[in-house]
Amino acid sequence: MRRRPGIGGLQTAAAARDSYRLLGENVAKLRTDLMKEQLSTFRSQLEDFARKHKNDIRKNPAFRSQFHEMCAKVGVDPLASNKGFWAELLGIGDFYYELGVQIVDICLATRPINGGLINLEELCKILRQRRKGAREAVSEDDCLRAISKLKVLGSGFEVITVGKRKLVRSVPTELKKDHNEILELSQAQGFVTVEEVERRLSWTTGRATDALETLLDEGLAMIDDGHRDGKRRYWFPCVSSVSSFVASETL
Amino acid sequence: MQTLGDHKLPHFFNYPPYFTLQPVRETREKQIQLWKELILDYCRTQKVFIIGLEEDFPLFSNPGIERSLNHEAREVFLSAIVLDGRAEWMDKSHRQCLILWHRIKDWADIILNFAKENGLEDSVMTVEEIRTGIESRGTDIHGMDRGVLMRALKLLENKGKLAIFKGSSTDDDGVKFSV
Repeated sequence: MRRRPGIGGLQTAAAARDSYRLLGENVAKLRTDLMKEQLSTFRSQLEDFARKHKNDIRKNPAFRSQFHEMCAKVGVDPLASNKGFWAELLGIGDFYYELGVQIVDICLATRPINGGLINLEELCKILRQRRKGAREAVSEDDCLRAISKLKVLGSGFEVITVGKRKLVRSVPTELKKDHNEILELSQAQGFVTVEEVERRLSWTTGRATDALETLLDEGLAMIDDGHRDGKRRYWFPCVSSVSSFVASETL
Repeated sequence: MQTLGDHKLPHFFNYPPYFTLQPVRETREKQIQLWKELILDYCRTQKVFIIGLEEDFPLFSNPGIERSLNHEAREVFLSAIVLDGRAEWMDKSHRQCLILWHRIKDWADIILNFAKENGLEDSVMTVEEIRTGIESRGTDIHGMDRGVLMRALKLLENKGKLAIFKGSSTDDDGVKFSV
């Protein structure tokens, strides 16, 4: 006859469950402790590394960019907050905030010339001229990082890629596909004509003039009626680099 | 950087669209601003007082990029300078423009300082001496437009800083400083 469960059996089973749980908890705790320890080791290693290479991080743009990459891989964002360890150690947050402010400044100052669209290269060039006295060299990577931080302001700062170039947009107008294609086409010579747009992009005259008129109204293009062939040329200061020449003198 | 004589030219001077009046208001304003500065700067360093709109003024064309300003653009840029009080049209048809890279009252101050620095208080000089004499050499006054000089001197006369007296010919017109 099968024994029916008695009090003793129940107690044994409960005790077993308890000890299993305890054991499990212990194992889990051990694991977390280990993990915590690893994390803190890692953190202190990263800190040591940062401390050791503080000057390189500050002064060498290439090194700085690699450091950022490494941080990104392990899920640390030295720019996430201006308080705490990273800021105190590297002042890296301040560096990018400063860059951000200067970038906004340059974008605003050059807007009458380029309509709020500026070549990233140009922007860096002007930025470097402005920061001549500063110790840290600035790379395009730094500019991009600073601009990405400006996005939170919601003021429409954005980096767009047109053809081979990166352009920084500081006006909220959205560039349509047509406009992008014209900008890309203009990169060869700095200008386009209506005919060229029609021919190269297989557009109708209406479509070409519409797009060019819009770019003109936005202040992104300038007309040039002075060429011998009598064909109006549309120049784009944001791709043909005159912006930096004019801007560096007015700034 | 390109130069014209010994004048440094800004880079926009080599960018073709700046030689065509821009139709969009904001772009045009910036264009006018840049041209105004260039024209005034050039006149100051080259001591140009009068620009003839139909003449070959060096800034009106850039052979390097084969561009030149049409008549309308020339008039627009100069009119903007007139509006700023830094130039005056010399005739109704706007053919000639007098550029006051110093305003008349600034010229008057410069002349007054010149007199003080050279110890000319209470002395007599002819107008021609002021313009071309040894004393003014190396100053803005040297070689300045006679008409502008006379206006500055009259202003000083009205303030009682000097007296102008007529000579037998305009060359002999003189002033007596009483600073």
